[in-house]
Amino acid sequence: MTALPVEQSGHPYRWTGALAPGGRQAFLWLATIAIVFLFLGPIVILVVTSLRPGWAVFYIYRGTDFTLQNYRDVLATEAVIHAFINSLLVATLATIVSIGVTVSSGYMLSRFRGPIPRAWFGTIYVFRTVPYISWVLPLYLVCYYLGIYDTYAGILLPHIAVHICFFSWIMKGFFDGIDPSMEYAALIDGCTRWGAFLRVALPSAIPAIAALGILSWLYTWNEFLFALILTGQNTALITVTMAQFVTELGTAWNLMSAMAVMAMGPAIIITLFAQKYVIRGLRI
Amino acid sequence: MVKAHPAVSGGLAPSAAPGHTNAEPWLGEKERFMFLLIAPAGIVLVLFQIVPIIFGANASFRDWQLFDPVRTWVGLKHYIYILNDPTFLTVVLPNTFLLMFLSVTLSLVGGLALAHYLHRNLAGQWLMQTIILLPQMIAPVIAAMMMRWVFNDQFGVVAAFLDWIGFGPIAWLAQRWPSFFIVVFTDVWIWTPWFALILLAGLRSLPREPFEAAQIDAAGPWRTFTHLTLPMLRSVIAVCVLIRSIDAFRSFDVIWILTGGGPARSTEVFSIYTYIETFVNLDFGRGSAAAMIGALIILVVAGVMYKAAGRVMDVSR
Amino acid sequence: MARRRDGVRLLTSLALAIGVLSWANPAARAEETLNICHGGHPIMVASQKILDKWAKKEGVKLATTLIAYDVYVPKVTQMLTTGSAQCDIIWHNDDWGQLWQQYVVTTDDVAGIDNVAKQPLDAFWNDQHKLTVVPMAHTIGTFFYRKDLISDAEVPKTFADMVKIGQKLQKEGKVKWGYVGAMSFNNTWFSLWWTMWNNGCDIFKPIYERDNKVLAANDWTSIVDQPCHQQIVEFWWDALHKDKIAPEANTTYGRNEANAIFMAGDAAITVADSTFWGDYNDKNKSRVAGNIGMAPYPVGPGRSKPITWVDIWGWAIPKSVPPAHQALAKKLLGEMLTDEDGQVQMWNETGGPPPNVKVWDRLAASDPVFRKLKEVDFDQDHVHSAYYFANWPKVHKAYSDVAIKALTGKREDIPAVLKEGAKSVHDAAVAQ
Repeated sequence: MTALPVEQSGHPYRWTGALAPGGRQAFLWLATIAIVFLFLGPIVILVVTSLRPGWAVFYIYRGTDFTLQNYRDVLATEAVIHAFINSLLVATLATIVSIGVTVSSGYMLSRFRGPIPRAWFGTIYVFRTVPYISWVLPLYLVCYYLGIYDTYAGILLPHIAVHICFFSWIMKGFFDGIDPSMEYAALIDGCTRWGAFLRVALPSAIPAIAALGILSWLYTWNEFLFALILTGQNTALITVTMAQFVTELGTAWNLMSAMAVMAMGPAIIITLFAQKYVIRGLRI
Repeated sequence: MVKAHPAVSGGLAPSAAPGHTNAEPWLGEKERFMFLLIAPAGIVLVLFQIVPIIFGANASFRDWQLFDPVRTWVGLKHYIYILNDPTFLTVVLPNTFLLMFLSVTLSLVGGLALAHYLHRNLAGQWLMQTIILLPQMIAPVIAAMMMRWVFNDQFGVVAAFLDWIGFGPIAWLAQRWPSFFIVVFTDVWIWTPWFALILLAGLRSLPREPFEAAQIDAAGPWRTFTHLTLPMLRSVIAVCVLIRSIDAFRSFDVIWILTGGGPARSTEVFSIYTYIETFVNLDFGRGSAAAMIGALIILVVAGVMYKAAGRVMDVSR
Repeated sequence: MARRRDGVRLLTSLALAIGVLSWANPAARAEETLNICHGGHPIMVASQKILDKWAKKEGVKLATTLIAYDVYVPKVTQMLTTGSAQCDIIWHNDDWGQLWQQYVVTTDDVAGIDNVAKQPLDAFWNDQHKLTVVPMAHTIGTFFYRKDLISDAEVPKTFADMVKIGQKLQKEGKVKWGYVGAMSFNNTWFSLWWTMWNNGCDIFKPIYERDNKVLAANDWTSIVDQPCHQQIVEFWWDALHKDKIAPEANTTYGRNEANAIFMAGDAAITVADSTFWGDYNDKNKSRVAGNIGMAPYPVGPGRSKPITWVDIWGWAIPKSVPPAHQALAKKLLGEMLTDEDGQVQMWNETGGPPPNVKVWDRLAASDPVFRKLKEVDFDQDHVHSAYYFANWPKVHKAYSDVAIKALTGKREDIPAVLKEGAKSVHDAAVAQ
């Protein structure tokens, strides 16, 4: 083995080490600017839109009037605060329950073969392929007949059903990628199966769980179709309230964008909070 | 309680999974435990997904208008109609596959790139990570509406920019391929962060030793990526691609808001076809049949893709 | 093991929490509460305000359920066909008049029902020729123009006039576009259909006919390939691509885009619902406030006098509602219909023309805007803005696809596209 200059920074090899040192910096700066432009740009457009009055909501670059009236109008809309609280509750509960129920089932799917995991995987797979549009109206009837239409359970449980599919699969994928030999070693050392799962496999999966938690929370927070069909006056959600700004005679985009910007607030907070668990990686 | 040795299914799982010998008696207890764990999820799934889907499937074999639910059994009439509909075969399905392929591929590549970009220990990383996740923090409906105004030929930001650099206005949404471009662009914008976050978590879970060994062996960056990173991430990538493909196949909001399937149905995709039958024409029977056909198609296609993806990423072995 | 117990405990307590929350139903129904379901549009809200006023007098509470427009029809149809008594009063529209007529209560005995315009009621007769709606406001398409740019003498009376004045203003740099108007699916009235009807044309023959028996006797033959219709398609093709008085992307515009462009001052003429008069003249929303005029529709070569549509939004009562609530609802609706002051207030607040024709005379005497609206729309000949049968949504979509295809292709291809289109529109009408 020939001796080669090793990267001084000490952390794992990065492909950008192939470039000259100045090139690496320049490239990263370019990438950063491009990312900010592409990802932050449209959000800036949304925020600017929400601060514009009347016709200028569409012609956002013409004229310089800015106003907070849209926000005032949205906050004056009936049940907006209620909708925020409901959405927060539903998104958080749905995510927590789904995590609780499916991480272990994803682990099972990954580590075991046999008819049960295969049947479970197959069931999830088959039923996930059916588009929501075709079964959301029957779902409305099911909830109605179970007596849970327009209740928290009525909107939570369908969301959990959707998350189950999503979580189980990806957790299976993650666990597939984690070498089971460490768990086996722990088993040989006298750990119980459950202990091996909790103490060896689960910690390596924390970034995955955090990532999935974020994405699934955001998904429920922003979900439209179930919310429209399955909620009534008691369980207003943010997306439903936003949908009301769309009428037969057009869309109140000024109000909708203001509400969307307000809805981003909790989303950003949750993301910031959960992100560090994604970054933690193998260090617990 | 010795269970018969279960067959090891081929594909992506590591071959040495623990607990696969006949001798271990606690497999039976494990089975019961599996059931116990899956049971609550199973019940929820059955009630709130499977039952409605079966309901819808039942409707697909009947003449069922929402406003006049006579529900006479007509067998495969709707299926035959749809499979003989030239628009469905020559416009809708190709559009759907094209959208699915482009959206998933571009998001995957973008997501991989972003995941690597984020996979450094720099201060301020939380900021870039949040920025990258911004598209996921607004509802797809809002994102689609915003893109529709942004690309409007009279008052869109893009139109203003084109005007500023001296180009004339482009009527993006009035023609098929420019509209399609905007649909793909929006979809990729929304879902690349999704890939990025999951792949970042994947990268974070990888052990360091192989990479350090590769560094010592003077492996180039591309070889490290293709021979180390990709194979180790392949299960995660495969599942992500599978999930996104299925979702892209049935994606609705973005296209409906941007083009409504227009102009003149030229960007119509499968979910819009279903939506128009169910929610506009109020023909629940035919809409459900369309949905079932689509589900069957994606079931087969995604399954094939899953197996193929596994084989492709095994290239280094 | 301890962890597993903890896990189970956590799950159980979560499940209990969900259970408790889900049965926490804050708005328990009081004794006399009527539930009113609508889409949240300002006109509906204003009409409900009138109902609220009378409800208070009767000691009744009105609870509102807002159902988003996107899912209103399927959701309420489901509700009606499953006999759910979730809503006591629902928003109704002529487009769905025939879809719901068997599921809603007859309203011939509602007070004041004799004082509404008769023609818009055509959509709402049930099979026994009983009425099934109580009108709340009129929805009318109106021809708006910039009266600061177009003098009274120059107001276009024909399609050709429209092109001339549009080009003139564009050349003088006073506006970017002569005309802008919604054209995409579900907004077809505001470019294609007003010109179609004002050119002596229609979708099916005989023109302007809405009696389904007569249309069926004519085999639901579509006349979109006939000269009268080809004329207007070619008119719009020229407007978009040759004369360029409207932007090319007008084929994709809904009401939002068209209104935005008009209110920004970039267009001289538009056709939109009469209720947008308020928005156009709102200084906070529009750059052209105070400069808006209304005029009768210009006509094409196929007609000599303008023709308009004057259809209604209304309230209906599902049949599954218990008889006591039905009677109460009818009482309230009757009180709304006869409440002239309340309707004047609704007009002032929202620009929704009131359903009671006695109020029209009152408003025409006192309000110049209403007087003008009456002159350009109410007092003209009328056509119904839709056909009233089960396959109408299919027909509407089919028509829109045909027209947009013709307008986004080559001019020489228009006759062929329309010929094919006539077949697809016919097929949509007779589809089983």
